[in-house]
Amino acid sequence: MSISETIQSIGFMTDLRESALVFPIMLTTHLSCIAVFGGMILMTDLRLLGLAMTGRSVTDVVGQFRIWKRVGFCIMVTMGAMLAGSEAVKYSANPFFWGKMTLLVLMGVHALVFRGSVYNNTAEIDRLPAIPTRAKVAASLSLALWFGLVCMGRLIGYYEAPQEKAAVSQQVTVAAHVPR
Amino acid sequence: MLMMLAYDPSTNPLNNNEWSFPLVEIFHITGFALSIGTIAIVDFRLLGLALRYVKPAQLLKDTAPWTLFGLVVMLITGPLIFSSDPRMYLYNESFRFKMGALLAAIIYNYTIRRKVALSDVSPGVGKVVGAISLLLWVSVVAGGLFIAFY
Repeated sequence: MSISETIQSIGFMTDLRESALVFPIMLTTHLSCIAVFGGMILMTDLRLLGLAMTGRSVTDVVGQFRIWKRVGFCIMVTMGAMLAGSEAVKYSANPFFWGKMTLLVLMGVHALVFRGSVYNNTAEIDRLPAIPTRAKVAASLSLALWFGLVCMGRLIGYYEAPQEKAAVSQQVTVAAHVPR
Repeated sequence: MLMMLAYDPSTNPLNNNEWSFPLVEIFHITGFALSIGTIAIVDFRLLGLALRYVKPAQLLKDTAPWTLFGLVVMLITGPLIFSSDPRMYLYNESFRFKMGALLAAIIYNYTIRRKVALSDVSPGVGKVVGAISLLLWVSVVAGGLFIAFY
């Protein structure tokens, strides 16, 4: 048995995949996180670019949203991991899924690279007369990475593996699970 | 209704190439991340969970243009998606639930919630108002997602 088959055969992963209600509810939670916490990510980046919430200091915006962005990220990743795990065979054959995972890794790299000089250095940024280029680069890259993540996430639902296409003609119910 | 009968979705450009429908959906998702996300910031403040030393009124003023921008993107891309298959959407219960929740959420957002955020109300009232707002918007997202399942 392949790794992806093993993962999706775990008891609760199988239950999750076969449940008519739990799968869409978890998907809703996954998506609601980007709706509820995505604004904080956007506002943080737009503040660093000097485009939004300019009445608040960078320290305020970065510091106040940090905890909630972390909470949101944890829920989002937990839901995502379970959704992907329950359909591991399908996802592991999906190039957009791997694109999304690559972007997630790049986000980790982004955090490591800019943490010291931007996100943990907001007091210094507030003291400067203008927002440093480094902070603007960090914010722009963050926006690009998040937009890419949304794109990949949505496109996962559109990919049909070549062999799956053949199966659909024989067994129509296969497609019922995939959101359009 | 008569116009609906005469309309043939197969002529819609969204149904005639592979990339336009997902692209419109991506803008739809980005639009609601922006609008609901900025609404959530004020709701979190009303709930006393973030930026407590900033007045909700100030936060509302900071975020309102972005909320509106996101809503406009959402309200342009939404009807486009709808136009790809109007009959399916109209007969879909999740879609109808979504439209009801959306209408309620938008009205609530620009009436009660706005009034409360702009005035100095007790934290208790603020919490209730913020919680209802989040609940309404999450219902909209849930309704949208369930269209594909039910």
